[in-house]
Amino acid sequence: MKTNENTPLTKHDLFRANWRWLWASQLSWNYEKMMAPGYFYTVLPFLRRFYPQDDELVEMMQMHNQFFNTNAFTGPFIIGMDLAIENRKGYAAKDTVAGIKTGLMGPLASVGDTIFGVIIPTIFGSIGAYMGLKGSPIGAILWLLVNLIIFVLRFAILPLGFYQGQKLLDSAEGKLNLVTDSAILLGLTVVGALIPTVITAHVPFVFQAGKVTLHLQTVLNQIMPSLVPALLVALVYWLLGKKHVTATKVILFVLVLGVVLSYCHILG
Amino acid sequence: MTTWWQIILLSALAFWMIIDQLTVCWISNPLCIGMISGLIMGNLQTGLIVGATLQLMVLGVSTYGGASMPDFLTGAIIGTVYAVGANKGTQFAIGLAVPVGLLMVQLDVLARFTNTIFQKRIDRFITQNKPQAAGRNAYLGLFTWGISRGLPVFVLLIVGNRMIKNVLATVPTWLTNGLKVSGGILPVVGIAILLRYLPTKKYFSYLLIGFIAAAYLKLPMLGVALLGLALALLNYQRKQTQSQTSNSHNTEYENEAGEYEN
Repeated sequence: MKTNENTPLTKHDLFRANWRWLWASQLSWNYEKMMAPGYFYTVLPFLRRFYPQDDELVEMMQMHNQFFNTNAFTGPFIIGMDLAIENRKGYAAKDTVAGIKTGLMGPLASVGDTIFGVIIPTIFGSIGAYMGLKGSPIGAILWLLVNLIIFVLRFAILPLGFYQGQKLLDSAEGKLNLVTDSAILLGLTVVGALIPTVITAHVPFVFQAGKVTLHLQTVLNQIMPSLVPALLVALVYWLLGKKHVTATKVILFVLVLGVVLSYCHILG
Repeated sequence: MTTWWQIILLSALAFWMIIDQLTVCWISNPLCIGMISGLIMGNLQTGLIVGATLQLMVLGVSTYGGASMPDFLTGAIIGTVYAVGANKGTQFAIGLAVPVGLLMVQLDVLARFTNTIFQKRIDRFITQNKPQAAGRNAYLGLFTWGISRGLPVFVLLIVGNRMIKNVLATVPTWLTNGLKVSGGILPVVGIAILLRYLPTKKYFSYLLIGFIAAAYLKLPMLGVALLGLALALLNYQRKQTQSQTSNSHNTEYENEAGEYEN
C-alpha cells in the first residue's frame, strides 16, 4: 500500500516558503482572486514535491489558485498550517486545507490589519510626523528601524503556524485580543495628543469696537487651547459617519474649506 | 529646477515604493518617502515637512482588503519637488500634492485591474499542467505595479521642469494663501478617519488624556506615547486578572451546580 507521508519539511523549507510569500504575496494582486497568485506561488514547489502524479498536482494547484485575501504579515500562519497538514496527509487533506484557508483568512486579516495596518503606523507615524514637522529626521529613522525589526519578526509567523497548528490559534485568540485592545488604547492616547500639535489653525480675526480691539484667537485660547483643531476633528469625524461620505470626498471638502475660510479671513 | 539624475532617482524611488509597500514594507510611508525625496532634492528639511504633513492625513487609511487609498507616497515625491523648486512654501506644495495623490488612485485601480491578465494566464497554465509558467505569472505584476507609479512621476517631473514655473506664476494670491491654510488643517482628515476606525466611543477617555497632555501640559509626543504605554499596560494587567477571577468563578459555579444535581 502506498503511503501518503512525505519527508518532513525542514526549517530551510519553511524559510523558503516565507521568502516566496514575502515577495510574491501581492505582486499579481488582482480584483478577481486577489492574493490567489501569491498563495499559489508560495506553495508551488511543495506541491510539486508532494504530488508526483499529474492529475493530483493539477487538482491541488487549482485548489490553491482560488480566491484568497488576508493580511500579508499574518497570512504566513495559514501557509504554515497548510504545509504541515499537506506534508502529513497529502491529497486526502484537500478539503481540510481549503477549509482552513477560507476559515482563517478573515480572522488573521483583522488582527494583522489592526496591528500592522493601523496601530504601528499610528504610533510611529505620529511620533515621526511630529518630529518631521520640526525638521528632525529622527522619528522617521526610528520608524524605519521598527520596520526592519518587524521585517525580521515576519519570518517567525510561518513556522509558528507550522508547528502549533490550529490548537494555538484557539488558545491564543483571547490573549491576542487583549494585546490588540491595549494597543488600541495606546494608539488613541497618541492620537489625542496629535490634535493640538499637528493641526495648524490660527484665527487672525480681530474685533474692533472703538478703542477696544479683541483678538478672537486669544478669546478662543481662554476657552480651551487648540479649540479650533478639536472642533475640526469633531466635524470631520461626524461627516465620515454619514452615508456616501468617502475619505476622498472629505479630503476635497477640507481642501476647499481651507481656501474658503482663508478667503473670509477666518483662518490664516 | 530638477536635474536629469534627480528625475531618474525619483522615478526609481516611485517604482520601488509601491513594490516595497506590497512586499517588505521598509520605507513605504509618506514620511520616509518625503525624507528620501528631500535628500535627493538636496533639502532634507522640506522633504520631511511635506512627508510628515501627508503622513498625518493617511494615519487611519490602510490599503487592506483591496481598497485603493489616496496615493500620498507619490504625493510626497511631487510635493517635495514642488516645495523645494517653486519656493512658495511647504504648505502650498502640500496643497498641490494632495490632488496628485487623489488622482493617482485611478492608476492604482488600473494596475489592480491589469493584473487580472496574469490571473487568467495562471488559470490557463494550471489546467495545461505547466507549473513553472503559471508561477512566473504570479510575480509579473511587479511591472504593472511599478510602472503605475514610476511612469507618472517621470512624466510629471519632465513636464514639470518646463511648466511648473508658468503655472505657478498664474495662480492668484487668494488661492495660494487658501492652499496654505488647507495644508495646515488637512491632518484633520487622517485623524478623523482613524478615530472612525478605532473604538473611539469605548475609549474616549484615553483620547481626552492624550489631548490634555499635549494641549495643556505641553508634553512632547514621545512623552505622551510613554504615558499611553503605561495606561495600556495597566489595562492589560487589569483585564488579565479580571479574566482569571471570572474563570475561577465559573468553575466554582459548576461545582455548586454539580452538588445540586447530586
